[in-house]
Formats: sequence, structure tokens, C-alpha cells
Amino acid sequence: MEVFQALQRLHMIIFSQNVSPCGKFLAAGNNYGQIAIFSLSAALSSEAKEESKKPMVTFQAHDGPVYSMVSTDRHLLSAGDGEVKAWLWAEILKKGCKELWRRQPPYRTSLEVPEINALLLVPKENSLILAGGDCQLHTMDLETGTFTRALWGHTDYIHCLALRERSPEVLSGGEDGAVRLWDLRTAKEVQTIEVYKHEECSRPHNGRWIGCLATDSDWMVCGGGPALTLWHLRSSTPTTIFPMRAPQKHVTFYQDLILSAGQGRCVNQWQLSGELKAQVPGSSPGLLSLSLNQQPAAPECKVLTAAGNSCRVDVFTNLGYRAFSLSF
Amino acid sequence: MSSESSKKRKPKVIRSDGAPAEGKRNRSDTEQEGKYYSEEAEVDRRDPGRDYELYKYTCQELQRLMAEIQDLKSRGGKDAAVEIEDRRIQSCVHFMILKKLNRLAHIRLKKGRDQTHEAKQKVDAYHLQLQNLLYEVMHLQKEITKCLEFKSKHEEIDLVSLEEFYKEAPPDISKAEVTMGDPHQQTLARLDWELEQRKRLAEKYRECLSNKEKILKEIEVKKEYLSSLQPRLNSIMQASLPVQEYLFMPFDQAHKQYETARHLPPPLYVLFVQTTAYGQACAHMKSSQPPRQDKTLSVAIEGSVDEAKALFKPPEDSQDDESDSDAEEEQTTKRRRPTLGVQLDDKRKEMLKRHPLSVMLDLKCKDDSVLHLTFYYLMNLNIMTVKAKVTTATELITPISAGDLLSPDSVLSCLYPGDHGKKTPNPANQYQFDKVGILTLRDYVLDLGHPYLWVQKLGGLHFPKEQPQHTVIADHSLSASHMETTMKLLKTRVQSRLALHKQFASLEHGIVPVTSDCQYLFPAKVVSRLVKWVSIAHEDYTELHFTKDIVEAGLAGDTNLYYMALVERGTAKLQAAVVLNPGYSSIPPVFQLCLNWKGEKTNNNDDNIRAMESEVNVCYKELCGPRPSHQLLTNQLQRLCVLLDVYLETESHDDSVEGPKEFPQEKMCLRLFRGPSRMKPFKYNHPQGFFSHR
Repeated sequence: MEVFQALQRLHMIIFSQNVSPCGKFLAAGNNYGQIAIFSLSAALSSEAKEESKKPMVTFQAHDGPVYSMVSTDRHLLSAGDGEVKAWLWAEILKKGCKELWRRQPPYRTSLEVPEINALLLVPKENSLILAGGDCQLHTMDLETGTFTRALWGHTDYIHCLALRERSPEVLSGGEDGAVRLWDLRTAKEVQTIEVYKHEECSRPHNGRWIGCLATDSDWMVCGGGPALTLWHLRSSTPTTIFPMRAPQKHVTFYQDLILSAGQGRCVNQWQLSGELKAQVPGSSPGLLSLSLNQQPAAPECKVLTAAGNSCRVDVFTNLGYRAFSLSF
Repeated sequence: MSSESSKKRKPKVIRSDGAPAEGKRNRSDTEQEGKYYSEEAEVDRRDPGRDYELYKYTCQELQRLMAEIQDLKSRGGKDAAVEIEDRRIQSCVHFMILKKLNRLAHIRLKKGRDQTHEAKQKVDAYHLQLQNLLYEVMHLQKEITKCLEFKSKHEEIDLVSLEEFYKEAPPDISKAEVTMGDPHQQTLARLDWELEQRKRLAEKYRECLSNKEKILKEIEVKKEYLSSLQPRLNSIMQASLPVQEYLFMPFDQAHKQYETARHLPPPLYVLFVQTTAYGQACAHMKSSQPPRQDKTLSVAIEGSVDEAKALFKPPEDSQDDESDSDAEEEQTTKRRRPTLGVQLDDKRKEMLKRHPLSVMLDLKCKDDSVLHLTFYYLMNLNIMTVKAKVTTATELITPISAGDLLSPDSVLSCLYPGDHGKKTPNPANQYQFDKVGILTLRDYVLDLGHPYLWVQKLGGLHFPKEQPQHTVIADHSLSASHMETTMKLLKTRVQSRLALHKQFASLEHGIVPVTSDCQYLFPAKVVSRLVKWVSIAHEDYTELHFTKDIVEAGLAGDTNLYYMALVERGTAKLQAAVVLNPGYSSIPPVFQLCLNWKGEKTNNNDDNIRAMESEVNVCYKELCGPRPSHQLLTNQLQRLCVLLDVYLETESHDDSVEGPKEFPQEKMCLRLFRGPSRMKPFKYNHPQGFFSHR
């Protein structure tokens, strides 16, 4: 029924996006559990029509919302309500695509299935780290599918993960307001930064939760309830505080800039010094994820896509303005 | 002459046979004396060759004598005279011979001629005979061929085939042993049989004719009888009227209605027929009672039949009218010349004229409320319109916000999606309107009724958009195919409006009426209260700052009804702008929220407000309640109150602010936040009674 579909679209939230290994397709997952595959190459080409901005295929992936997605070189892994499923990129455009496998990490509680908020690939170990509602980080070996480790430490559910390549260490940020660093080899917590305890960046009226993390080996930027802050990891000190009032939900390093997005329409571009370089408005009232297509195989599809509290994915071909929007 | 004489003498003379030749000379001198002397016979005796020789000799002699005479004469002398005389006598004799010979020649000639003639005559006679005979032969031949070609009539008769003949004919006619061998006899036998059969058939034919006469007479008699029956039956019907009324079987009334129905214009007639049929069919389906007309659907015709008849006046009357109107016009133009507008007005009135007859349909619903529909037909525009009225068993006190719910103008709006009834469905009308300066039918609908598309369909009128037809005629099958759905929709519409009416009365007093069978959807204790429920205008809705999304998505048209609800708890005030689609409850109402508590939160700046809207708008199917889901709106409002409770109670405490939380958490929740957007637990689980996330 048209009214019902219109209402669904109005209330859609796109939680996660991911680019295919060939760089030509973008997958987006929404709160109804659907995944849509858009063809970036078609939408960016010179003969793009209105239909190119619609998904090539949309399928029901999960029963609950699809909170996060990552891609290996052949698979798309999506996670939402308690389990992670894998799809073959080569098959995903065909109708009636079925998942390749699905796994559920061993949960303690059985009353409510905890969600999986973040997925992280560790290429050196060929494993996947899942973190979410049950406050643990689970590691799953991609070859065998077994869950090798469970890292405890957070007191409230985990929002985001980041990988520190050199060590290798995993950073996790959670609802309890702490950013914890874990060493994968010893499976132990190495460092804890409780952001809300630092007066410069804490914002009690927003809460203490850490919504987003990004790391560049020595440096880490995190945001959420507290202000968006750049940290020096070894000394655990906040070096730059970005003056953004709205809580940020996604942050990433890009070249010499920091891109962040969250409550509010705009994608913010920050200099490392803390100055706001640009604020580019998008079409959704709030943004939840940013995705940079840096796949070497498709240089013509090098775009920044942003999605959040609407059924639209904004495509920025040039960081200065929004070129167009793909929509579910 | 000679022939005559010879004929006379022939029978008497006999003596001519055997007379010598020299005797002939002598007899020729004495012939005249009565001795019958036949020279004809002599001719037969004498040889013509010898005669010829004699002739030649005689001629020579004559010549000689003449020469001698000549000589003698020339010489002269005395004896010469005697010699000459002698010679003269000899030559006379020779002359006599010659004469005879001449006569003989003539006779011979004559004889020859006669013989020839005779022979010729004989030949001619034979010739004639031959010819005659030849003719006769030819004639006979012709006759023979004619006879041979003669086709007797008997061959034109189609005789039965040989096998059949032998099978069927009785043996005394077929005489097989004789006829097998002899084709002539066989044909005769067959002809006999044919004659026999024909006689029999002629007999049968005569019998049948007489039968037919008899039967015709019987029919006549019966017809007489029946026609005498009609007036008696009429009198019986009259007498039975009071009995009919007593037993509630108004056959007579129905009959009268059918009489009136004959004067209806075709679309109204189609409507009348189809609705009566539908009413009777429904009655039959619920037939545990004796078959009477279904009380839930009653059809009647109203209006003046005389006026309807007057529309089709015969031509001479209209001529009178014309002359009258001419006279009138002359008068009126003098008076009316300055006021063109009045003329235009009259033309408009003429164009929008209604047929004097209308069909009244009464739909009775289960709770004794009745929907009265009056269908009119606009003659010049060829469309039908309807006026609606809802009456209830008990007097309704209309709450202020429910003003539009049952108003005749809007109660049937959008019965089918998009059918708002403000525009004429007949594309040809536009040209007619241009002529008289009518912009749109919208201005006149209050007076004329609404030309909904379903009304046209019930009257069998179909106006296809792609190919405009010249004349649109009323079609029964179109009406029949739409009848059931439309009636059901009408009933549901009336019932849902009445339910809303009742609910609005309660809502205006601040009570959300939740029926007992929907109580399970909500927790026992709901603290937030509905304090205000008003209706707002369409323009006011579109100007609200938190309704932009709905307006952009095209869900807020001018056929919808708009309301504002206010839910309060403590210092928190939640405004909810509601779009009620005329197709409620199959199309859910849409809520947009704005919370005023520690700042203004709308779906633009607060994910949880979005989640609350989603709970009410998108997950409405859980809130429908038992069919026919009239509880949807009230359940949505109740859920809204519950959601506000959850929102306020699960708000994380701000450490920097002094004092206890304004709203202590009373709801049982497994987790307070979940997911990247930190949603609150808005989903209520029954019967455990705790809140969780979707």
C-alpha cells in the first residue's frame, strides 16, 4: 500500500554502509534489516538517470536492523541482531541471494539477544572481531568460523571498534564512556582511557558514551557524548578538542583531515589543529555513517558517502559539496 | 393443224401398215378425198436417213433440171419448150417430193417433240414422286428422332432408389421376378409404388390439416378465457392490498416502484435495478427468516413522475412553447438587455439542471444507524451525483472536533483512494462549462451533490480517459461489478466514522478510550495523560515546523482531516499532529511529534522521537485491534502516552544538575540503550510486562 511504503521510507534509518572490493558497488543496511546494493559506477557515469540512483537489488538480510558491515576481498559481512552473516559479492546482485554462512557468538544471557554494533577485520590473523550488546569483544576466525577469544572489560555495551595496525591492538569505545585498548596476542586489556573524566572534553548533558573511534597508530580521535577529541595514545592525553556541540556518531582520518558526522546535517571537516575547515550539508537530518571509497580498482568511483536518519545516501564526489543522493 | 388432223384420222385408218415408199408419192395427191391417210404412221415406217438422202437427191435433181432448163432456155429451140415443159413437170414433181419431205420432217419433228414432252412429263412426275417420298422420309426421320428423344415426365419424378423400392414396396406392386429382368416393367412398378406412396401421404396431409384447424380453434377458446381472467385478477390484487400490508409483503408497492422506474433516466434506472437486486440477494443469503426484502438496504424512487413525463413532450407542444417563448423574449429583451449576467446565470442553471426523479438508498448498519443516499442525475452533463446523510438511532452530541466527520460534504470523500468528488468525471463537461462560464463543479457540489467516480460506476457510466466517447451509455455489468465492494465500503465508512465520533467525544474529555480487548497492548499503569484534542485546518498543519517531512512526502493533501493532540506528564509536553486519511481505518493516521522538555526535540534532532513516531506510524498493524479495527486511533494515542512515559523515565540522569530525576523509572526495562543510535526500549512485551527494543 502506498501510504504504508511512504511511511516506511520516512522512518528509515541507514545504519551502515560498505564498499565492494571492486569499488563499483555500495551496500547499505537499514533498520528494517534490508540491505540494498547501489551501483556507484552507474550513478556516477555521465548517462546516469533517476533509476541509477535506486538500488540494483534490495533484499531482507536480517530480522533486526543491520548495524554494521565490513568487506573482505570476496565477502560482505553484515551484522545486526546477534548474528553475523556472510554474502558473496559475486552473487549478491542475483535475485534471491542467500547468505553463505551465519554465526552467532556465544552469549551469556539468553533473555534478550544482544546486538552487534561493530565489526572489525584483522587481516594479519584473518579474523573478525565483533562487539556489541553483551559488552564483550569476540574474535572469530574467518577460516574455521570458530570463536577464539572473548575479551571482557567493558561495563556497558560497546559502540565502536578501531584497529591499531602496528601493534596489533584493538580499540573499543562503549556506552560506559571508556576507550579500551586490547592486545590481540595476549588477549588482555592494555590501556583504558575514560574520556568523561577529562574535564576539557566531557559534556555531562550529553552523557558519557563513546559513539565513534578512529585511530592512526599514535593518535586516536573519539567522540560521542563527550566532545570530539584527538588523543595521543601513548600519553593518554587529549591534544585537540574540536568545538562541535552535537554528538558525533562517525569519525575517520582522511589524508590530513579528520571527517566527522553525527547529529546535524553536515559532514564536518577538521584540520588536525582543531579548526573547522568545512561543513558540508547532506540531506539527512542526522548522519550515522561515512564511507570513503578508496578501492584501487575503481578510481573513478572515489567518493565519500554519508547516510543516517533517512532513506538516502548522500554522495560527495568532491568533499566540498553534495553531488547527489542515492535512495532506497 | 396437222397434229389435229392426224388425231382425227388415227382411230379410223388401219391401212397404212406395209405401204411401199414409192406409193407414197401417189397417195400424197389423193389424200384429201376422205381416205384416211396417216402420215404419222408413214413417218414411223420411213427411215429418216433415207428420207434425207432422198431430199438431197431431189435437190440435186432439181438443180440439174433447173440447169437443164436453163440450158435449154438459153439455147432456145422448139423442142426446148417441150423439154422444158417436161423438165418443169419433173421439177414440179420434185417440188412435191420436197413438200412431202418437208411435211414428213415437220411431222417427225412434232412427234419427236411430243415424245420428248411425254417423256419429260413422265420424268417430272417421277421426280415429283421422288421428292414427295424424300420429304416424307425426312419427315418420318424427324418424327423418329423426336420420338427417340422424348423424355417422358416420369423421369422427372425422384423415385426412391432401387434397394429401398424393393425393400418397401409390397410384392404385388414390386413384382420382383418380373421387374428384375425387365427395366420397362421395373420403371412401371416403381411409378406405381410412387403413386401409391403419394396417395398415402396426401391422405396424411389432409388429416394433419384438419387437426391443425381443430387445435387453432382450441387455442382461440383458451385465449378468450385468459383475457377474461385479467380483470378478475386485478380485482383480487386490489382486495389483497390490506393483507399484504398486514404481512409486510409489499408486492404492490414494489410493483408501483417498477412503474415509476420506467420513467427514470438510464443511469438512475441501472442504479435502481442493481441496488434492488443486490438488496434482494443479500436478503436471500441471510435467509433463516422468511424471504423478505433485506432491511439493511432499501431503495425508493422520489420525485415527480409528471415532471419526468413532461420532459418528453411531443413536438407540437414544443412548437407552441417556441412561439410563446418568442413572444416572451421580445418582451424580456427590452427589460433585460443590460443584464447579461442574469442570462448567463439562467444558462448555468439550465446546464446544471437535475432530472426530476431521484433514487433514495438507505443503508442500515448493525448499530441501527442509517446512511441515506440520494442519487441525482444531471441531464445536460450526463453525470450522477449523490447527497449523503447519516442518521443514528440515538441523538448524537457532536464533539467540537468531530464536526467534519459526519458532515454530508465530507463523509463520503475518498471512499476509493483519490475520489474526492469535487471535479466532474465527464471530460466532455469542460467544454460545456466554458460556454456558460462555470470554472469548476466544486462551487456547486453543496447544492447538487458530489459526482464521485463510484457513483458513476454504480449507474453504469464509464468515462474512459484515453478515448473520449461521444455518448456514454449506462451499462448494467459495470454497475453490478462494483456494487458489492461499494456497499461494503460505504458501510465500513459509516461505521468507522461513527466509532471515531464516539471516540472523539471521549478524547475531548482527556480520556483515551481503550476497549478491553485491546488492553493487552499496553501496561497497566500509564501516567502520561492526553490533555487536549482539537481539529486544525489543513493550512495550519502544513505550517507546523515539525510536519515538513509528511508534507513533502505528499501524505498531507486537502482531503485529509487534521488534529492536534497534547500529551503531558509533569513538565514535559508532547505535541502530536495527526493526519487522518478519509480511508481510515484501512489507511492509518500519521503522527508527527514535538516534545518540549529540556529543550525542543523533534525527529530532526532526536533519534528517539523518530523512534517513537516509527512505533506509532510504521508498526500500526499491531495496534489495529479486532476487526473492523476502529480502535486504531485510540490505540495509537494510548501507545503514544506509553512511549512518552518510557522516554521520560529512561532519560539518563545528568550528573551536573542537582536534584533527583524528575521521572523515576517505573517501567521494567532490560536495557536502557541499544544500538548505535542509542534507542530507548519502546516495545512493550505482553504478558511479561517489560520493555525491550525492536
